[in-house]
Amino acid sequence: MRQLGGELTLEYEGRNPLLVAPLKASLVFVTDLSRAVKVVHELDFLELAPYDAVGPGIRLLKDLDAEIEGRHVVIVEDVVDTGLSLNYLCKTLRLRGPASLAVVTLLDRPYRRLVEDLPIAHVGFTVPDELFVGYGFDLDERYRNLPDLHVLRY
Amino acid sequence: MPAETWNFQAYRGSQPPTFANQAEVACARVLDYYGIPWEYEPRTFVLEEEDGRITEAFTPDFYLPEQDLIVEITVMKQSLVTRKNRKLRKLRERYPGVNVKLFYKRDISRLAERYRLDLAS
Repeated sequence: MRQLGGELTLEYEGRNPLLVAPLKASLVFVTDLSRAVKVVHELDFLELAPYDAVGPGIRLLKDLDAEIEGRHVVIVEDVVDTGLSLNYLCKTLRLRGPASLAVVTLLDRPYRRLVEDLPIAHVGFTVPDELFVGYGFDLDERYRNLPDLHVLRY
Repeated sequence: MPAETWNFQAYRGSQPPTFANQAEVACARVLDYYGIPWEYEPRTFVLEEEDGRITEAFTPDFYLPEQDLIVEITVMKQSLVTRKNRKLRKLRERYPGVNVKLFYKRDISRLAERYRLDLAS
């Protein structure tokens, strides 16, 4: 966390970045990351609708409160694997004209990527093909509160 | 497995896709949901020829034109995918510019868990 926070601190000095966290799994990560970023910045949240096979397609359940035109935006993800939802998020936010758009993710599974053209600038850990709970990650909404990441075995 | 009953929005093929199994249907739905343009079995790659006659060919499942990525889905057990792996290796050797990714049964299961997909049947 200190390392990621330090990298963002150097990169965004004097730029007042907006850290954008998709709910809910990123919540714990973004609060820790925010405290590790030693430059003035702001926080905002959005939420994507969960996948619904018979639904109309991906959409935002909760939009940002802040205007991002001309702002330096950093999406704070819990995990990137296929990149499908992050791709949607990046496309949606780019339409609003941010000065820059970058992604920091706690976990990365690049071997499952379907969309490669993503502005992933900082990665916490590249992880094997395991399911995690704790530190914001859930199993049917449970275990988000566990202080550490745990590999789920079942 | 005809898919005429499903109104795909991001499908870019000219003919309605006819899927081989439920995992392919589920993947098509996920791509569609996220608005990723996709085609189904748009191209057959020649892998081996003998005296001008095609002796081995491979038709991958999905092509994502915006990513220029071919995606092959296999629902076979990991231990039974040797033949498919060999085809993919040949494809990469013969067509080095082609970007292809194989999704194994385990990958599909992970996607199913994440997106709560119904892969029954």
